[in-house]
Amino acid sequence: MSADTDTSALDVQGYSLRYRSADGQFDALKSIDLTVRRGRTLGLVGESGSGKTSLAWAIMRYLPANLQELSGTLLLAGEDLRTKTTRQILEIRGARVSMVFQDPSTSLNPIMRLGDQLAEVLIRHRGLSARAAFEEGTALLARTGIRSPAEMMRRYPHQASGGEKQRVVIATAIACNPDLIIFDEPTTALDIVTARQILDLFTTLREETGVAALYISHDLGLVSRIAHEVAVIHQGEIVEHGPCAEVFRAPRRAYTRALLAAVPDPAHRIGTPPPDPATPPLLTLANINVRYGELPWLLRLLRPGQAVVQGARNVSFDVRPGELVGVVGESGSGKSTIAKVLAGLQEFSGSVTFAGQRYQGRRAFDRAYRHAVQIVFQNPDASLNPRQTVATILSRPLKLYGTVPPLRIPARIAELLARVRLPAQFATRYPHQLSGGEKQRVAIARAFAAEPKLVICDEITSSLDVSVQASVAELLVELQRETGTACVFITHDLNLVRQLAHRIAVMQHGELVDLFDTADATLPDRAAYTRTLLDAVPTLARIENGVVP
Amino acid sequence: MRELLRSPAGLVGTCLLLLVGAMMVLGPLLAPYDPQSFHPRARLQGPSLAHLLGTDQFGRDLLSRLLHGARNTVAFGLGATALGVIIGSIIGVTAGVIGGWIDSAIMRVLDGLLAVPDLLFTLLIVTMLGAGMGYAMLAVSVAFTPGMARIARSAVLSIRTREYVLAAIARGESWGWIIGREVLPNAIGPIVVEATIRVSFAMMIGATLGFLGLGAQPPSTEWGLMVAEARQFMFRSPWCVAVPGVAIALAALGFNLFGDALRDSFDPRRRLR
Repeated sequence: MSADTDTSALDVQGYSLRYRSADGQFDALKSIDLTVRRGRTLGLVGESGSGKTSLAWAIMRYLPANLQELSGTLLLAGEDLRTKTTRQILEIRGARVSMVFQDPSTSLNPIMRLGDQLAEVLIRHRGLSARAAFEEGTALLARTGIRSPAEMMRRYPHQASGGEKQRVVIATAIACNPDLIIFDEPTTALDIVTARQILDLFTTLREETGVAALYISHDLGLVSRIAHEVAVIHQGEIVEHGPCAEVFRAPRRAYTRALLAAVPDPAHRIGTPPPDPATPPLLTLANINVRYGELPWLLRLLRPGQAVVQGARNVSFDVRPGELVGVVGESGSGKSTIAKVLAGLQEFSGSVTFAGQRYQGRRAFDRAYRHAVQIVFQNPDASLNPRQTVATILSRPLKLYGTVPPLRIPARIAELLARVRLPAQFATRYPHQLSGGEKQRVAIARAFAAEPKLVICDEITSSLDVSVQASVAELLVELQRETGTACVFITHDLNLVRQLAHRIAVMQHGELVDLFDTADATLPDRAAYTRTLLDAVPTLARIENGVVP
Repeated sequence: MRELLRSPAGLVGTCLLLLVGAMMVLGPLLAPYDPQSFHPRARLQGPSLAHLLGTDQFGRDLLSRLLHGARNTVAFGLGATALGVIIGSIIGVTAGVIGGWIDSAIMRVLDGLLAVPDLLFTLLIVTMLGAGMGYAMLAVSVAFTPGMARIARSAVLSIRTREYVLAAIARGESWGWIIGREVLPNAIGPIVVEATIRVSFAMMIGATLGFLGLGAQPPSTEWGLMVAEARQFMFRSPWCVAVPGVAIALAALGFNLFGDALRDSFDPRRRLR
C-alpha cells in the first residue's frame, strides 16, 4: 500500500475508451471521473450497454483488442495502472484489485475444488504454503458465514448452492486485503432471499475489513441500500455523481429522475380497477400436477427408485375476466411450469376449466382454447423467429385464426404496431434490427393479435432494462384496459407485480403457498414465505424515509 | 456474401470455384482439340505450344481432356452430394422433430453406418450394384446420408426448443408450418455449409472410384479416370498424371475453402471485426 496521504482507493480521471467494430467505432466511455474513497462503497448504476462493465475491465486491465484507450488516468491508491507493465499487473490483479462476478456458477472452475480455487490466490499472492493456505482459506470461508468451512473447501462447485458459491468467490476476493473490490452485479444471478443474505454479508465484511468497493448494478433499489456514494452512467458518461442520499432524494439530472421513476414502487398502482369479485371465473385450475423426468415403463423397471421431480403439486386457483393475477416465486418454484401448462406446452394431470369448457391433459386443448389463450415469453430474442419480418410474425395469428379477412391484414398489422406504440415502418424489419424492448412489444402485439381472452406473461420484463420494464408493464395494463383481457403475470419481481396485479399467488417448491388480494400484501397474516419474499426485496422507499446505510 | 469475400479463405475459394464453373460451362468450347482424337506422333509430351499441357499415352491433348472432363467430375460431386444431403436431411429432420423411440431407433442404425469409412462403404455398394458413373454417384450419396442425417438432426434439435417454436406450438400451428417455416429456415445454415464441404469429398471419392476402375469407364474424360489410365506412364511423363491430379486438388480445395468461409459467415460470432 502506498504510504502517501491520498485517501482514495480508486481515482479515475478523464478516462475515455473507444470501441471499434466492423460497422465503425463508438465511444464506450467518455471522460469518466470517479473516486472511491477508502472504506467506502461507490455504486455505479447504469442500464445495459451504458459502459459500466467496460469500466470494470479497464480497471482490471483486461480489455479486448478492439477497445482503444483514448485518455485519462486510472489511479489505484495513487499509482497509475495504465503505466504498469504486464508483469506488474499480474501482481496487482487478485491481490490489490479483485473482482466478484455476476454468476458464481460460471466464475468458478467446475473441475477444481472450491478450496483449491481459494487457496490458489493465497499461495500466489501471499506466498503461503499449501497447508497454511488451506487453513487461511477455511478461516476466510468461516468469515463469509459458511457453516462448515473445512468441508466446503473440499467440495466441487456443483456440490454447493449458488449462495455458497458466491460466498466462496467473495472470500477469494477479500483474501489478500485488496485496496479495491469490484462487484459486478453479484446478486443478479441469485434468487431474492439468497441475494439478500449476500448483501448482508457484503455490508458486514465492509465494516470488518474497511475495504473500498465499486459496486456495479442496474438495480437502483439495491444500490440505495448499500452504497455511500452513487454514480449514474448513461451511454458512457457519468451523468450524476454524489452521496447516495442526495442523489436519490433530489436527483439533478433528468435521466436519473427517469431512472428513479421507472423503479417499481408498490405504493404506486398502475393496474386496472379490480373486476367484480362476483363474476364467475374465466379460468379455473384444479389440482394441477406436473412431474418431470418420468420414465417410460421399460426404464422404470430397469432403474427403480429414480427420483421424479414435481414441477407443480396440486396447484389450484382461478382467474376472473379482465383480472391480472400475479404468480411470484423464486427460480424453480414452479411458476414457469404453470405458464407452460396453460400454454399447452407441458403435459399435466388435473383439470383446466376455461370459459365453461373442461380440459384434462395437454392433448385435450382444442383450437378454440389455443386461440383464446396466448403466451408472451421471457426473452424476446428467442421468442421471435429471426428469419421472419415483423409483418410475417404478426400476420400469423391473424391468418391462423381468421380474426380479420385476408385483405384487411396489412391494415390490421399497422393497427397492432400503433397499439404497442411502434412506428408502422417496423413491419418490414427483422427482429435483430430492433432493441430488446421493441422486440418484446412485437411479442405482445402478436399475443394480442389473436384477440385472446387470457394472456400468459412469463417473466416478460425480466430480460429488459429498468426504464424499458416500466414502459412494457404500462403497455400491458393499457392493452388490458382497452380489450378487457385477463392476464396471468409470472414474475420474480414482487414490487412490480404489486403495482399491476389484482391478486397475487405465491409459489414455492411447486406448491401454491399463498393467494391474496394485492391490497392485503403486507397484512400480518400472510404466509411466512410471502413475508420472507417481501422483506428480501430492496425498495427505494426505505431511503426516502431517511434510512441510509 | 460481402462478408464471404472479406476473408482470405473465402476469396480464394470463390475464385477457384468461379474457375471450375467457367471450365464446366465453357470447357468444350475452349478446348483446342477433340478430347478423343489420337495424335500418334505426339505421345506423352510435355507442355508445348501445340499442346499447352502436354499429351497422354495416346497423344490426346491433356488440356482438351481436362476441359471436357470438368463437367463430369464436378457434376458427379455436386450430384452425389445433393442427393445425399436431401435424403440425409429428410431422415435427420424427421428424427429430430418426431423424437422419442423412433428418433433413437433411426439414429442407432445411422451410427452403425457411420462407423464404416465413406470410401469402403461406397466400394461395397458399387461392388453390389456394378461399375459406372450413375451407380458410383448413387453409392457416394448413400454413403453420405448417415453423416448428413446426424447434422440435420442436431441442427433441428437445437432449434426445436427455441421459444419461437414453442410459441408456434402454443398457437396451435400445424406440423407442416412448424417444420417448414419455423424450424428449417433456421436449421438450414449448418446443412448448407456441410454440403459445400462434402462436394469436395464426393469429387475425391468419385476420382478414386474412377482410378480403381469402378466409376467412369474409358474413354470418358473424368479426371480420376485420367489419372488411373496414365499411371503406368507416370515416370516417363509426369504431366499426364499431374495435370488431372492438380485439377482435382484445386477444385476440392475451392469447395473446401468456400464451405469454411460460408460457415464463418453464417455464424455471427465468427464474423470478422
